[in-house]
Amino acid sequence: MLAVTYDLGAYLSEHWEFLLRGFARTIYVSAIAIAGSFVIGLLLGAARAHRIPVLSQLAAVYVEVIRNTPILVQIFFLYFALPEWPGIRLDVFTVAWLSVTLWGGAFNTENFRAGFEAVPQRLREGALALGFSRVATFFNVTLPIGGRIALPSSINTYIAVVKNTALLYVIAYEEFYTSAYQVNALELATWETITVLGVVYLTLVWSLSALIRFAEGRLALPEAF
Amino acid sequence: MPELPDWVEPVARYMLDVGLRNTLRTAAISVVLATGIGVVLGTLITIRFRLSRALIRGYIEIWRGLPIIVTLFIVHFGLPALSPRLEFDVFTSGIITLTLWGSAQIAEATRGAVQSIPREQHEASSALGFGWVGRHRYIIFPQALRRLIPPLVGLIVGIILNTTLIQVIGGSELLETAEQSIERLGSPPPVGLLDPHAFEILGAVAVVFFVICFPLTRLAAYLEKRLVA
Repeated sequence: MLAVTYDLGAYLSEHWEFLLRGFARTIYVSAIAIAGSFVIGLLLGAARAHRIPVLSQLAAVYVEVIRNTPILVQIFFLYFALPEWPGIRLDVFTVAWLSVTLWGGAFNTENFRAGFEAVPQRLREGALALGFSRVATFFNVTLPIGGRIALPSSINTYIAVVKNTALLYVIAYEEFYTSAYQVNALELATWETITVLGVVYLTLVWSLSALIRFAEGRLALPEAF
Repeated sequence: MPELPDWVEPVARYMLDVGLRNTLRTAAISVVLATGIGVVLGTLITIRFRLSRALIRGYIEIWRGLPIIVTLFIVHFGLPALSPRLEFDVFTSGIITLTLWGSAQIAEATRGAVQSIPREQHEASSALGFGWVGRHRYIIFPQALRRLIPPLVGLIVGIILNTTLIQVIGGSELLETAEQSIERLGSPPPVGLLDPHAFEILGAVAVVFFVICFPLTRLAAYLEKRLVA
């Protein structure tokens, strides 16, 4: 018999520091990936919505490749396949943030494209008629309105990004799931581990979901649109 | 036609005969189970009865909220710790995990679709003498299906892509057979070639998934335009 006793207190007092370090890495990588996928989504989403030649097509290929292949294959590809090219060597941390950023960026490109395309044409025409340049029209009309339309779905993507960081276990990047897994390998305290994993991830994910509802309420466009 | 290198044929045969076969079988079973359970739960949650609502809501939020690899950990390591009778082989664990995740996602999509049908449809079918089951079976669900199918196709793609999680616990699905081949080819002769060929092999895995999933994502987008708008 492996685990006859369930003692969360002892488990936490023994391992809290190690788990906290893992949690910090989860937050760190998530923050980089969310910022990165925001920038990618904004730029490529704008390129897609405005059909900027070449860039728009390249972005479409990028989005479809990422969306239609497993993220685990993407992580393995960066980690095992790219170094076969001379001169390319990515360490674990680089693969960690890069893989989840590329994934989030692709989904966010779609979110922002849809948001920008949902901005009524007449608003953009209005801005152009008032003498705004195309760039100024984007920053003053398309971005504020389309960005608000895209916000809930982009937060959904950020939630998925946070959850995906747990997959970095496969390259032994010591984020939260990997840390908890290692503690369990040592202690065989399976249900204590599950409790900690469940509480932490659900708290993270549910708080971010609550943020979506808040954003939807506060940033909803006036009825007139 | 340039001749393919000698290593390609046996590796491709192993990955397709063992890996792809297991991937497709796992995906098919998980899709069927997740759709069945998800549609039933998603319809039941629309009944205004607090207890059942709370239970289904909990089910949806937990299995949608957890990273799938955590659910896999619970199923594959947590359940056997409770009772040896709950110890499953890697593919069964994978199917249970994907079914929990998929059914939670599909239940939420179904709820949205069912609740989008106007109240008058319920009232009219009640007036015609339909009970709850008949009303949903013949009137509400067929209409909700138009709204459900596009996200459902998207979620099926999600289940197919997520079968690769089984690699993490060592199940010989497509990605695991690829990893095994890479490891073999990378080892010294006579077993391997000291060249893992990870680029070609992982690239091939990506191509196989893309060929399966890209048409489905296009289909989902097309149906979204046709059925929902």
